[in-house]
This record gives sequence, C-alpha cells and structure tokens, in this order.
Amino acid sequence: MTNVANFEEHSHTPEKKPSVRAKIQAVGGFLTNMVLPNIGAFIAWGILTALFIPTGWIPNEQLGEIVGPAITYLLPLLLAYTGGRMVAGQRGAVMGAIGAIGLIVGSDIPMFLGAMIIGPLGGYVIKKFDQLIENRIPAGFEMIVNNFSIGILGFGLMIVSFLFIGPVIENVNDAMTSAIQALVQTGFLPLLSLVNEPAKVLFLNNVIDQGIYYPLGMQDTLEAGKSIFFTVASNPGPGLGLLLAFTLFGTKIARRTAPGAIVIHFLGGIHELYFPYVLMKPLTIIGMIAGGMSGIAVFSFFDAGLVAGPSPGSIFAYLALTPRGNFLGIISGVLVAAAVTFAVTSIILKLDKNTDDEADLTSSIAKSQSMKAEGKQLMNFAADTATTQEISKISFACDAGAGSSALGATTFRKKLQKKGISDIEVKHYRIEDVPESSDIIVVHKNLSDRARMAHGDKKIITIESYLNDPSLDELLDQLSKD
Amino acid sequence: MLADLLKGNIYFTDELPTWEESIKVAAAPLLSKRFITEDYVQDMIKNVQINGSYIVIAPGIAMPHAQNQGGVLKTGISFLKVENSVTYPEDKEVNILFVLAAEDSNGHLELISDLSSLLIDEDVMEQLKHANAEEEVISLINSLE
Repeated sequence: MTNVANFEEHSHTPEKKPSVRAKIQAVGGFLTNMVLPNIGAFIAWGILTALFIPTGWIPNEQLGEIVGPAITYLLPLLLAYTGGRMVAGQRGAVMGAIGAIGLIVGSDIPMFLGAMIIGPLGGYVIKKFDQLIENRIPAGFEMIVNNFSIGILGFGLMIVSFLFIGPVIENVNDAMTSAIQALVQTGFLPLLSLVNEPAKVLFLNNVIDQGIYYPLGMQDTLEAGKSIFFTVASNPGPGLGLLLAFTLFGTKIARRTAPGAIVIHFLGGIHELYFPYVLMKPLTIIGMIAGGMSGIAVFSFFDAGLVAGPSPGSIFAYLALTPRGNFLGIISGVLVAAAVTFAVTSIILKLDKNTDDEADLTSSIAKSQSMKAEGKQLMNFAADTATTQEISKISFACDAGAGSSALGATTFRKKLQKKGISDIEVKHYRIEDVPESSDIIVVHKNLSDRARMAHGDKKIITIESYLNDPSLDELLDQLSKD
Repeated sequence: MLADLLKGNIYFTDELPTWEESIKVAAAPLLSKRFITEDYVQDMIKNVQINGSYIVIAPGIAMPHAQNQGGVLKTGISFLKVENSVTYPEDKEVNILFVLAAEDSNGHLELISDLSSLLIDEDVMEQLKHANAEEEVISLINSLE
C-alpha cells in the first residue's frame, strides 16, 4: 500500500525531477572545477613528500620542512580560493581564502573538505553583500566600500570558521575511532573499509593509520611476527585502480593528469594524490570501498600481513615489509583491490559520462547554433530561452573586463530599466572572472572560444557589437515577455 | 563626467594610413598628459591584433582599450575623428575613436554610463559624425545630460 502511495506522490511532481538531477550534475561539475585547476599543486607536494620525508626516498630534513605547511596551508587555501572565485570572481576568491584560514588554524588535520565548503560560502557571502549595496555607493567611495566590506565580513567568517571547526573535527575523530573499534570487535575486517576509505579522503589517513591501526598491528607483531592491521588502510591497490579508471574514462583534463598521479601514489606511496579525484566525483568512493574490502578479504584469506606500518604506503614499502612466505597474499591483495576498484569506478565514470555527453551535446548544439548566420541564430535563441529557467544574472565579458564589456553591460542595464525590469543583475567581467552564478554570458564572437573554454557549461550569447546587436535585442524582448 | 574628461582631448584629422596609426594618434593627448604610458598604447594595438576588431563597438565607431597592466596612470578618455575612414581588421571601417583608459574595472563606470547614453542616441550620433570642432562635440554631450 505504501508503495502505491509513494508512487502517486512521485507522479504528482514530475516537473521537479529533472531539476534535482540537473542540480546534482551542477554540484558535480562545480567540485571538479574547484579541484582540477589545483592538481598541479597536489603533484608538486606529492613529489616533495615522496622524496624528502624521513621515510622517503632521499630523506632531507631541511627540504622536508616544506611538506607540512604546504599540505596544511597551501593546498586547502588554493581550493578555497578557487571555490570562492567560481562563485563571485576575484572578490569571492579573497573571501574564500580568508574563511579557510580560520578552518585551517582551528583544526589539526589538513582541511580539504572544509576548504571546499568555506571557499564557495565566502564567495556567496560577498556576492550577496555586493548585490545588496549595488548602485548605493556614492561615487568615489567604491574602493573603500569594496575593501572594507571584504575586510569586515572576512574577519567575521575567519573567526566563525575557526571556532566552529575544532569541535567538529573532534566529534568526527571520536565517531570514527569508536566505529573502527566496533568493527574490529566483529572480527570481519573487510567492513573496516566502510570507515577507512571516506576517512582517508577527508585526509584523516594518518590519524587512522598511526592512531589506530599501527598500535593494533604492533601488538599482533609481538605475538605473530606480522599483522594484517598494517594493511587495512594503507593498501595502494584501490588508489591505483581509481586513477587507472580516471586515466581511461575520466574527463579530458582528468585523463591527462591521472597517469602522473599514479606514479606518485603507487610507486611513491603518497595516497593524497588520489583524494582530489574522489572529491571531484564523490560517488567513486563506492569503488574505493569495494576495492578496499576485496583487498582486506584477500589478505585475510591468505592470512597475510606486514611486519611494520608501511610509510609511505607505496608498493615498494609493501614488498620490503612483507615477511617470507607472505608475498603471494600481499601481492594478490593489492592487485585484487586495484582490479575491483578499477571495475567499479569505471562503471561509475561511464554512467556519469553518459550524462556529461548529453551536456556536451547540448553545448555543442548551442555552439553550432551560435555559429550560424545572425538572423538564424536569433530564432534558435528565442526558441532556446523559451524553455530555460528564470534568468537573474547576465554577465558581459571581454578581454580586459573594463572597456567593451562595461559599455555593453551599462547599455543593456539601461535598456532593461526602460522596460521596467529591475530583478536582473547585469555586470561586466574579464572572461575568466565571470562567476559561476551567471545565467547568461554575453561575449563578442572573436572571444567566444575563450569564453567556451572557461565556461563551457554556460549559456553563451555571441554578439558582433557590445552596444547594439540583434541578439541582444532578441534577449531583451524575451526578458520583457517573461 | 564624459564632457569634463574629454575637454582638451578632442582632435580631428583627414586621413591616416593604418588602424595602428589611428590608435596612436587618438591616444596621443592622453600620452602627452601622462594619463597613460607608451606601454598602454602598445597593449591596445596588441589587443586588436590578438582579439580582432571587437573594439569596433558600433558601425564606424571604435573604442580602443586594454586591460590596465600598469600602463594606465589615471582614468581618462580621448576622441579622434578621421574624415576618410580607416580600415580595421575584418574590413571594418572606422572614423570615430574613443580611446578609453581605465585604471581598474570599476572606477570609471560613470564615464562608461555617459558614453553609453551618447552612443545609443542615434540623433546625437548622427550629429557627432558631422561635428568638426571640439566645442561641437562637447555641447552634443552636454545636451544629453
């Protein structure tokens, strides 16, 4: 009976479904765009770490000093900066970074997920504020208002995030520790992956390994000369599988960066290199858990273990710490884990890609439309907008973000005002600074490739003249009808 | 604001050999008053070389400008009318130039707003195309305010 009721409930709200799906896709794209531009920094840090930490390949105390600050400050700040920038341009970027420093100092683990939340949040705060005071600043006071608004709001955000994060981390740590202890009690070790894999991606990997598993492992070693606990969270197999899947089935940029990440992760033992890829497509955590579980199951089946905690968790460290007679078990565990994660992640990425392809398809259709002769483009556009959602922000973009785009935005704003439309924000930006919140981007046809490269997922109108263009007239007509 | 900034920066000429030359001549008043440096003139030319004639904002009218990478010392604007039109890339004929120098992307919006009022008023633009003295241009702009 309840099933029937549910079914009816769903069928009453059919128009809501696609928008939820579209939103989830948008969030996914947002995460990807926040992480991808910063992969290079992760790789730089990974190389540094693999080489110079005390257990690295050429330990160097002096150069090793960079490792800690880089992962604690540099990487989270970059993510927060990028996240803020996507929401509210350069001002959002500054707010995002200010907010993130509060989190970073307030916690004692690298704050990646937190930075990916506070960055866009900071951008959102300053965007709302800017909208509120838009057109109300007396001429000549723009600079002082702009700087002090970020200064004062940022100050608040910094304090709030600092005070907020400490207790949160503590609670997560406690919850995780007790969850792991309960799972160890059950005796069925593969279940540990349910906690391990999400915890690792949240950068708690050292906490769980050195805080929980290594002490358990050392007890075992005293009795049996080896322990499986050394392997439960440090297996490099699942990460290898994940990165291989991204290499073959990821987005274009992910495909190009993943192979480099494999070297640093699997050979260098720096697991952090695969974390951003999971953060980009959070669903792939399922692949990581499946792989981790299979790995532990195989280790258990062969009764395999390591003699000490492998740090860094590279395949070489694994082999070096494998006691005689355990090689088959350990190698199988790593390979099976990699294979399972690869298979599951590939499926997830492929399913995801189908929807991406749809989006690509629509954007390429839009592109081909915009390339047609002006007259035809108009008609296509009119048909297009008829089906689109409400439009609340139009961004004019040009190379410098100061001249033609400003002139275009100002002129268009005036035309809107004449039509009595006041709820649409029209602003001007440098192409690369156009915020994610824009519903429509207007750009000169000579710059359209650059705009598509930076904002391929957005609706882009190409024009011949920033001042007076048939496409803009059409847009104006469309908006005044709504 | 537009009229104030344009005063003393309005010039007329009959003919110029190339579009590059038209930007240089149009920018000369701003250069000599130290509103901009020689670098900014080069940046404006480079902008057209790279991005094409998108600075031709309406038929016959160009607004050369570029991002301020240190070449703009003070926000300003200058006007040049060339009797025999100059050909810009993509075969665009131009005879009126407004050289825009903006210190940052927000400090000059009042100026932009005035310019926009001017450019979308077809009657005034028609008269502007026949103007041949500074006073005429200034009084046309003032007639809008």
